[in-house]
Amino acid sequence: MLTIFSAIGGLILSPLVGGLLTGFDRRITARLQSRIGPPLLQPFYDILKLLGKQPLVTNAWLVFSAYVTLISSALSLLLFFMGGDLLLLFFVLTVGAVFQVVGAVCVPSPYSNVGAQRELLLMLAYEPILILVFVGFAMCTGSFSIAAVFQLDQPLLLKMPLLFLALGYALTIKLRKSPFDIAASHHGHQELVRGVQTEYSGPYLALIEIAHWLDLVLILGLCAMFWHTSVVGMAVLVGASLFTEILIDNITARLTWQWMVQKKSLLLGMGLALVNLLWLYVA
Amino acid sequence: MKMSTLVFCCVALPFIMGLVLYFTQSSSTRKLIVPAAITIMAVAAVTLGANGAFRLEVGSILGLSADTVFSVLDLLLLVYILGIGWKLGSRLIMGMTLLQLVGLLYLKFVLPGHEVPITAFVADGLSLIMVIIITVVGGLITIYGLGYMDLHEEHLHLRVSRQPRFFAIIFCFLGAMNGLVLCNNLSWMFLFWEITTLCSFMLIGHDQTDESKANAQRALWMNVLGGLAFVSAMLFIQKSLGTLSTELVLQKMTSLDVKNTAILLPFAFFCLAAFTKSAQVPFESWLCGAMVAPTPVSALLHSATMVKAGTYLLLRMAPAFAGTTMSTIVALFGAFTFVATCILAVSQSNAKKVLAYSTIANLGLIIACVGINTAASMMAATTIIIYHSVSKGLLFMCVGAIEQRIGSRDIEDMRGLYGKMPRTAIITVIGIFTMMLPPFGMLIGKWMAIEAIARATQAMTPIVFFVALGSAFTVLFWARWAGVLVSSSKMHEHPTYGHPKPSVMFALRSLCGLAVVFSFISPLVLKTFVEPSVSGVYARFNMQAEGFIPGATLTGAEGYVWIYFLFLLLGLGVWYAWREARRVPESSHAQPYFSGLTEVKDGVVGFRGPMNVFEPVRVSNFYLSQYFGESKITRAIDIISTAFLVVLVGGLL
Repeated sequence: MLTIFSAIGGLILSPLVGGLLTGFDRRITARLQSRIGPPLLQPFYDILKLLGKQPLVTNAWLVFSAYVTLISSALSLLLFFMGGDLLLLFFVLTVGAVFQVVGAVCVPSPYSNVGAQRELLLMLAYEPILILVFVGFAMCTGSFSIAAVFQLDQPLLLKMPLLFLALGYALTIKLRKSPFDIAASHHGHQELVRGVQTEYSGPYLALIEIAHWLDLVLILGLCAMFWHTSVVGMAVLVGASLFTEILIDNITARLTWQWMVQKKSLLLGMGLALVNLLWLYVA
Repeated sequence: MKMSTLVFCCVALPFIMGLVLYFTQSSSTRKLIVPAAITIMAVAAVTLGANGAFRLEVGSILGLSADTVFSVLDLLLLVYILGIGWKLGSRLIMGMTLLQLVGLLYLKFVLPGHEVPITAFVADGLSLIMVIIITVVGGLITIYGLGYMDLHEEHLHLRVSRQPRFFAIIFCFLGAMNGLVLCNNLSWMFLFWEITTLCSFMLIGHDQTDESKANAQRALWMNVLGGLAFVSAMLFIQKSLGTLSTELVLQKMTSLDVKNTAILLPFAFFCLAAFTKSAQVPFESWLCGAMVAPTPVSALLHSATMVKAGTYLLLRMAPAFAGTTMSTIVALFGAFTFVATCILAVSQSNAKKVLAYSTIANLGLIIACVGINTAASMMAATTIIIYHSVSKGLLFMCVGAIEQRIGSRDIEDMRGLYGKMPRTAIITVIGIFTMMLPPFGMLIGKWMAIEAIARATQAMTPIVFFVALGSAFTVLFWARWAGVLVSSSKMHEHPTYGHPKPSVMFALRSLCGLAVVFSFISPLVLKTFVEPSVSGVYARFNMQAEGFIPGATLTGAEGYVWIYFLFLLLGLGVWYAWREARRVPESSHAQPYFSGLTEVKDGVVGFRGPMNVFEPVRVSNFYLSQYFGESKITRAIDIISTAFLVVLVGGLL
C-alpha cells in the first residue's frame, strides 16, 4: 500500500520536476547561445497560458489522442515508481507514442503527417534499444522487475556501460533533441512548423507538453537506475546525462530522415547495446 | 454426452455438411444449414474443451478397420493430387506427389507393421485449444462468408452461383483441421494435412482468374513439398522408433538421454513441413499470393486454419527435440522470419499484404518460442496462437468489408473511412490495437515471449535482437494504418449507414467482442487453458518444466492484481479521453494549418496555391520502398532463410 501512495506522490511531483528541468534546459541553452534566456519558471507560465486558451482542433480524435498520450506517460511513470515490470512499462510507453502518431495522421495536414512519419522512424530507432537495455537489466538481476535492481549491491554501470550509452542515445531520440528532432523541432526550423504537434493548440497542446515532461522524468529515472547504490551517484548520472543532452542539442545540426534510416544511425545504438549484451552473456 | 459423438461433430460432421452443401443450390436453404451446422460444431467443440483431455479408440468405420480406411483414403487423395498436377502440367507437383506415393506405399507394405495398436484420438490441452479456435473463429468467418459471397458474386456477374462448391470446401477444411489436431496416428494426421493442402489450393483458385490459378498452383507445389517432408519424417520415424503414434514417439524421444543426429532427422523434416504450411520464409510467397481469393478464404487461411496447422505440428513435436542444437536453429529461424517479414510489411500499402506479412511474422515469433523450448516459451507460443487467430481473422474480414464498399484494399484509399463506414472503421481500429497495444492479448503473448527469450540458454542475444527490432517495425506499420482510418477534417462525423449484409456485421462484431473480452480475461484464459496445456505436456513426458515462471504469465497471485490495477487505470483513462473527445463542441472546429493559406471548397480542405488556384490537400504515408521494398530485400531474405534450412536438415545428415 505504501508503495502505491509514494508512487502516486511521485507522480504528482513529477510534472513539477519535469517543468523545472525544462526551464533549466532553456536557460542553459540560452547561455550556450549567448542569450540570457527566460525565467526558470517560464515552462509553467507557458502551460498556464495554454490551458486558459479556447480549444481549437480539426477533429475529435486529436483530443482523444492528446488525453491518451498523457495517460500513457503518467501510467508508465507510475509503474516506474511502483517498481513494476520493465517490459510492461515499455509497452505502456508505446501506447503514448502510437497515439501521438495517430493524432498527427488523422488530420489532413502535410506538416503533421510528415512529422508523424518521421516520428515512426524515430520509434524504429529507439524502441529496440529500450528493449535491449531492459533485457540487459534482466540479465543482471534475473527478472524484469525494477524493484529487483535495488537488491543488487553493485552499480549496474560497471556491468552495462555500453547499454548506458545506448540508453543515452535512445534518450536523445525520445526527447526529440538535435540531431534527432526531425519529427517535432523545438528550434526555429521552418520546413516542419511543429511536425507531429502542428495541429494541437491551447489546452490540448498543454497536455502533450506535460506528457513530455513526464517522459523526461521517466527517462532520467531510468538513467539513475544505473547507479542505484548511492544518491550522489544517481544525481551525478542524471546531471551528466541531462547536461550532455543539452550540449549535444546545441552543437549538432539536424539529420535528414534518410540519414535516420540508413545503417549508421539506426544501428549505432543497437550495436552498442548488442555488444554489451554479448558481454553480459559471456561473463 | 458421449465423447465419440462430440468428436464426430467436430471432425466428421463438417465433411458430411460439406457434401450436403455441395448439392444445395438454393441460397436460402444454405443460409439455414450453414449457421445451424456451425452452431452444432461450436457447441461440440466448447463442450469437448470443457471436458478436458481424453483418449478415444476407434475400432472400425462402417465395418472396415479404421486404419485400412485411412490408408486407402491417403492413397486416393495422393492420386487425386497427382491428377491435378497432370492437369496443371506441372512436373514439379507430379514428381513430388509421386515420391509421396512411393514413400507411403513403402511405409504401408515394406516396413514392419505396428506392433502396438494406436489409440485413434489422444486430445490434450493444446489440441482442445486448437479445436475451439478452429471451430469458433473459423465458424464466424464462414458465417461472414454468407453475406460476403453474395456481394462478391454480384460484383463478378456470375450466371450460376459457385457458392455450393465454396462452402462445401470450407466445411471440409474445418473438419480436416479438427481431425489434424485431434488424432494421434501420424499417418491419419498426414491425411488431414494433405486435405488442408488440397482445400487451400481449391479455395485460392476459386475465382478462376489467371492470377488466382497461378497463385493456387504455387500454393500447391509449396505445400506438396511440405507433404513430402511429412512422408519422409514418417518413414524415418517408423524405421528408428517403430511406431507412428505421436504419443509413443514423444515418450520414446523424451526418455532418451543422448539424441543423436539419426534420431533427430525426422523432426527436422517435420520442421520443414511446418515451415511450408506456416509460410515461413522462403515459402512466404504462397500465403501472400493467397489474398487473390475471396476474403473469407484469406481470413480462414491466416487465422484459425492452415498456417496454424504448421505451428501446431511444431508445438506437438517440440518435446522431442528439446535442448538440442536443432531447437536453437529453429528458434533463430523463427526470429529471423519475424524480423524479415516485419520489414517487408513496412513497404506495403496494400492492406491485405500488410496483414499477410504480419501473419507470417507472428508465426515466426511462435516458431521462435517453440525453438526456445522451455515451458515459459511454450506458454507464450500458445497464447500468441490463440489471440492472433482472433485478431487476424477480424482484421481480414474488416478489410474485405471495406473493399466491397470502397472498391480498394489500399491503405491510402482508406483515408477518412471513419466518415464513410464508421462502425467498420472503429472495429478495424480496435482490431489493429488488439494486435499491438496493451492490455490486449497479442501483446501479452509478445511480453511472455520476450520474457522467455531473455531466459533462453542458447543464442539468446541474436534472438532477442531480432525480436526487439521486429516489434519496432510492427508498431510502425500498425500505427500509421490506424491513423489513416480515423483521418477526418470534420469535428464529429455523423455516420449514416454500415455494411448492408447483416451476417457480415454479425461476424465482425462477434469477433471484435471476442478479441476484447478474451483480452480482458486473459489471466483466466492463461490459467485455465494455456498453463494446463503446457504443464500437461511436461508432466506426461516427465520433463522438467524449467523456467516456468514469468511474472508476465499473469498466473501468479500477485501478478493478477497488479495487472488489473494497471489495466483498470488505463481503461478508465481511455474512457475519460473518449468522453472528453465526444464533448468538444462543434464551435471549436478549426481547419488544418496551411501557413495562413487554408481554403475550403465544396467541403474539400486545401490551400490557395500559386496563381490563386485552389489546391486540395493530399497526404500520404512513407512506405520506404527504396529501403525496404520487396524487390530490394526479398532476394537476400530468401538466401539467408534457405541457408537456415540447409543447416537445419543438412547439419543432421
